[in-house]
Amino acid sequence: MKRDKTMMITFVTPALITFALVFIYPTIRTIFMSFFYVQAVTDSLGKWNFVGIDNYIKLFSSQMFVQSLKNIFNIWFWGGIGVFAVALLLSIILTSGVKGKGFFRAAIYLPNVISAVAMATMWIHFVFSSKYGLLHNVFDFLGWENMAAVQWTSPTNQFASMTVAYCFGMVGYYVLIFMAGIEKIPRDFYEAAKLEGAHIFQQFRHITMPLMRAVMRSSIVMWSVSSIVFFIWSMMFSTLDPQVGTVTPMVYMYALVFGRSIVPSDPTLLNAGAGAAVGVIMTLIVLVVFGIVNVTIRDKKIQY
Amino acid sequence: MKVKRQFFLFTAVLLMLSVLPVFSTGQQGADDVDAKNLVYWSMWNETETQAMVLKDAIKEFENENPGVKVDIQWNGREIRKTLQPALDAGTQIDMWDEGVELLTRSWQDYAVNLDPYFEKSYPSTNGKAFKETIIGSLQDLASDLSTDGSIYAVPYQPFVVVSFYNRDHFDKAGITKTPETWAEFLETCDKLQAAGFTPVTIDDAYMDLPLGMHLNRVYGDSNKVVELVKDRSGKLWDDPKVLQAAKDFEALAPYMSPQTEGNKWPAGQQEVATDQVSIYITNGTWLPNEVMGTTGPDFRWGQFPYPAATNSASVTGGIYGAQGFSINNKCAYPDEAFALIAHLTTGKWDKELSAKTYGAPMDTSMPWPVQIEECESVFASLDTYIPWSGGLAEDSDAFPIIVAEFTSLISGKITAEQFIGNVKAKLK
Amino acid sequence: MNILKNRFNKQTITRLPGYTVLNLWVIFTAVLVTWIILASLSTTREIFTSTMLQTGFHFENYPKALFAHNIASYFLNSVIYTFLSGIGIILIAAPCAYILARFSFKGNKFIQNLFVGSLGIPQIMIILPLFFMASTFSLTNSRFLIIILYICLNIPFTVFFLLSFFATIPGSFEEAAAIDGCSPMRTFWIIIFPLAQPGIITVAIFNFIVIWNEFFIALIFANTSDLRPLSVGLYSMIQSMRYIGDWAGMFAAVIVVFVPTFIIYIFLSKKIIAGVTGGALKG
Repeated sequence: MKRDKTMMITFVTPALITFALVFIYPTIRTIFMSFFYVQAVTDSLGKWNFVGIDNYIKLFSSQMFVQSLKNIFNIWFWGGIGVFAVALLLSIILTSGVKGKGFFRAAIYLPNVISAVAMATMWIHFVFSSKYGLLHNVFDFLGWENMAAVQWTSPTNQFASMTVAYCFGMVGYYVLIFMAGIEKIPRDFYEAAKLEGAHIFQQFRHITMPLMRAVMRSSIVMWSVSSIVFFIWSMMFSTLDPQVGTVTPMVYMYALVFGRSIVPSDPTLLNAGAGAAVGVIMTLIVLVVFGIVNVTIRDKKIQY
Repeated sequence: MKVKRQFFLFTAVLLMLSVLPVFSTGQQGADDVDAKNLVYWSMWNETETQAMVLKDAIKEFENENPGVKVDIQWNGREIRKTLQPALDAGTQIDMWDEGVELLTRSWQDYAVNLDPYFEKSYPSTNGKAFKETIIGSLQDLASDLSTDGSIYAVPYQPFVVVSFYNRDHFDKAGITKTPETWAEFLETCDKLQAAGFTPVTIDDAYMDLPLGMHLNRVYGDSNKVVELVKDRSGKLWDDPKVLQAAKDFEALAPYMSPQTEGNKWPAGQQEVATDQVSIYITNGTWLPNEVMGTTGPDFRWGQFPYPAATNSASVTGGIYGAQGFSINNKCAYPDEAFALIAHLTTGKWDKELSAKTYGAPMDTSMPWPVQIEECESVFASLDTYIPWSGGLAEDSDAFPIIVAEFTSLISGKITAEQFIGNVKAKLK
Repeated sequence: MNILKNRFNKQTITRLPGYTVLNLWVIFTAVLVTWIILASLSTTREIFTSTMLQTGFHFENYPKALFAHNIASYFLNSVIYTFLSGIGIILIAAPCAYILARFSFKGNKFIQNLFVGSLGIPQIMIILPLFFMASTFSLTNSRFLIIILYICLNIPFTVFFLLSFFATIPGSFEEAAAIDGCSPMRTFWIIIFPLAQPGIITVAIFNFIVIWNEFFIALIFANTSDLRPLSVGLYSMIQSMRYIGDWAGMFAAVIVVFVPTFIIYIFLSKKIIAGVTGGALKG
């Protein structure tokens, strides 16, 4: 086939230009900016004050930033386990030959398609309301007074509530992926195992899990990338400014750079350089997770 | 192939049609090239009563001043986060409004010095200088907050933070005098509880106010509160005064609504508005307006100033202030802008705003709406200005941690000693 | 015979809890949405005193939400952003994916890895310089800017997704076109591009949903009343509801935003699911 150099260049260049403009240049500039004190994000280079790793030191001595890291870790870890466990369960059920698979799959994926702002509102103001909400009414109906009185949106409980609400919406996405992965596994394997007397759990352990390796690996990476940018749910659960139970790095950065509702009088508290440092830290974490996942879950090329 | 060609044709037409709005920026320029265009970024949401009144007022101003066109952007309180970046990015914003405290302490450098304008008179001031027609204490506040003693914000919609109560509930419980000391406050709650009411509630958004007010009562000086908040060694938290303050709230906990802990604002306000709770411990005078949809105008509101704490150093301070308008120092038409602001905040529209928003008027000769009438004397008697949150917000790191622990304290989940201990541990 | 009996029993026993779990999950979602709809037809007072719908159906909450809150302009903005960005993304990403899939040259793999790698860069890493660039060119608060941003941000994924589609198209088409005297570029647009339609439509729908629900970029770059898309618009409506205490209106706004996405989803769920599955499995 003819190699038309003009075509190759014309076709690839626009994409490369947009990439350089929106990914390469900003990434480099952000890394650079993280070593400076920059009061307004619109300040030109001339107004930047070099502070070395001061921003990073300040961040790690900020209780709220450290709390945000704790929160994001818990969301990633416990939320991840919860989402993957539930998604695996649902996808196994759905691929075991139940009727209405298409309907169930579409219904389970639906929350993932709805705007997170809408979903969060439904959860906060209906499910979690301790006055007239779903959980309150259900527990009331069951006679469980203690559970009916639980304040799901209190400072102590709201982190767990927020994580559960978030995970509910995310399960659908992973059900889709796991189902596709499971359906790739030839039925013969399972038939052979059944004939040998293996029951459901043994089939799962020795057939499903090993062959889902690649899917699992990319799912963990996906989950890591999407949970690190946890933002909308946090904004919805925090009434005005980041709260202890809802703060995440991205929310912390937003308040650091763009301001808060209840404003301290010291203007030097706004620092875009520290915001950049948050971005760098987050990206490093993603890279580390990516590295760990790639090392621990080796991708065996599987031939069917 | 025919279907595909039609598809591409359709997409091309759609593309061309929709390209038209692409090049429009968010702010529509004036239709008439000669008109003076003022861009006003408002703190109000379009559905709030203030916005509706301001819209009408601005329309009337445009009719009376044919050369001026005003473009309003209703930002809601998000303006606190979007204004400064937009100004830094060079967006044309000629005037904005927010709390006078915020305008002066944070955005003074973007604003015009308004002193000369305050000396002049305007159509709505009946020949008097502007500064003589509006509340003096607010002008003093505005100039005190600035770095150079000048005024950078035109105050309007004055407010004061007080405790709100349901007068019907107080009548039924046989309470004839509003509490002035903490002991009296607890007694009032006791009587309400005995009469079968849930005495007190609050929301997470205002959770800092009782603690801030209390500490200000105890110390008598908001700077001491700022020191306390910034303290990481724990020494200042060991002060027995702080423990006593915490104990005051421990004693209040049994009277708080069980929803207090989980109340996401404005859920607590609705508790009071639907007759389920008697007292909202601290809120601004805007409260009746915010729940008017649920209460209707006949709800019998009462207010009393935040009580004294046990062993108060001072009882006369209060959190008060106003919203205000500022003009961009890069504005091309500051005279017209100030004329507009004067039009909105004095005379006829001051009256309209007060009536329609159940808010306080700037005109000192006009009475305050019946829903907040008890606040008028409170406002007049305040002699010490306490910043919003009482100084607690000066450390944005410690603030959410303290407020979270305080929520547990006031809901009876932890004791006063535990509160102090937790705060010290978490702030180390 | 024994084996058959065992398998039958196992099937019924194992399937029943499965059905229960599935149904519970779906019922929960249904209850969630239904309650919100009912609440939106009620009044705030009734919601708080758990006496919903006692004064009948308050349909007026909907016109109030639709008109007082400017939802129509938010909806229009969302449509403009998703359509124009969607088209822009395809126009730039498809040709690039074609070249990367078809021709091997030095740097091909590198470019592909660059694109894939960028999928892991969190947006907070790039947002501050983007805001700086936008303000330097005075582009903040303009539709032009946000469409450009949406296009640029979604190109890597789209290129990555379309790569395999172009790789599966046999080279015979290009050869035949070359014999007919068709230039390579024309060949792409007139022959190859339409052949990749299933993939293109799928990724277009996927991008549509991503941009439709996008929040963070819009919050920072399109946060004025004329420019807000539905996601940020709903957020600002909810915030504004708090200041007037109108829960019923807030729920009405939520439903108004929910319904278009729901309807689109019902018609396109198969395609959407195919897109999600296809794209993810390649990772």
